[in-house]
Amino acid sequence: MSGKLTALVLALGILVCSMGLKTALSSNHSSGTVLTANGPDPMPLPPPKR
Amino acid sequence: MPGPLASFILYFGTAFELAFLVCSIRRRSFFRYFFLNLYILLVLASSFGRHFFLSRYGLGSDEYRYAYFYTDALLTLALYMALISLYSNVFGELQFGKYVRLTAVLLLLGTALFSYGVVAQSTERLSTTFAYELSQNLYFVGLVLTYLLWGAVVKLRESRTRLVQFVLALGIYFSAYAASYALVNLASKYSIVNSLGPVFSCLLPLSWTYTMWRHSEDARLVPARLVAVPR
Repeated sequence: MSGKLTALVLALGILVCSMGLKTALSSNHSSGTVLTANGPDPMPLPPPKR
Repeated sequence: MPGPLASFILYFGTAFELAFLVCSIRRRSFFRYFFLNLYILLVLASSFGRHFFLSRYGLGSDEYRYAYFYTDALLTLALYMALISLYSNVFGELQFGKYVRLTAVLLLLGTALFSYGVVAQSTERLSTTFAYELSQNLYFVGLVLTYLLWGAVVKLRESRTRLVQFVLALGIYFSAYAASYALVNLASKYSIVNSLGPVFSCLLPLSWTYTMWRHSEDARLVPARLVAVPR
């Protein structure tokens, strides 16, 4: 398998694992959870979904 | 305006970020860990920008909300680059640099496409929704990448103390983020859980500052000892 193909497969695998983990942690509230952790500033409420 | 707890977190977080930059410059490691320093610099700059909008328009305003989420997406990208720079440090001697960069770009593109796919159905305020969706997805990508990097550090017997501790600090940071993400889902009615993110973002520069201040670039340790307890 060529190096580029390996990189593509690896990227896809990591993406699937990450999104699977996110979905598992979201349980049944996946639509409304917003949490950020960049910087110590207070987090505002996300924009309302219409 | 933010309450006393939020102000306390804000002032301590800013102090830790400044301390990391000062330590980094004094230990002459600013360019060696350039992307880590760039991330902290951007956090500081965005903090000042956010503070401007916060004091002028208030916590509930659209202006502060947009400033916060757009800068957050930018900062998550900077943190992603910092993590990839640690990968380059670990794999630098193995001539894998080209493939690490290619995988990082493909992964970033994939995450952006996935985030777009999730928010594409919402026609209103697509850009803001995309900003925080991308940011959150990148946190989880960062978590998986950090665990993979830790596996590589142990497998390759990487012994540079600073590098090992930077990776460990990132692992704890991303794991704490994932745990608090789950906690927000389970107990969203308690407002204290929303303060967890800013608290963790204070602890990351604190642990990096400790590493930079306590250990020199020549310091070495055996990470296998951190994993396997001798009998």
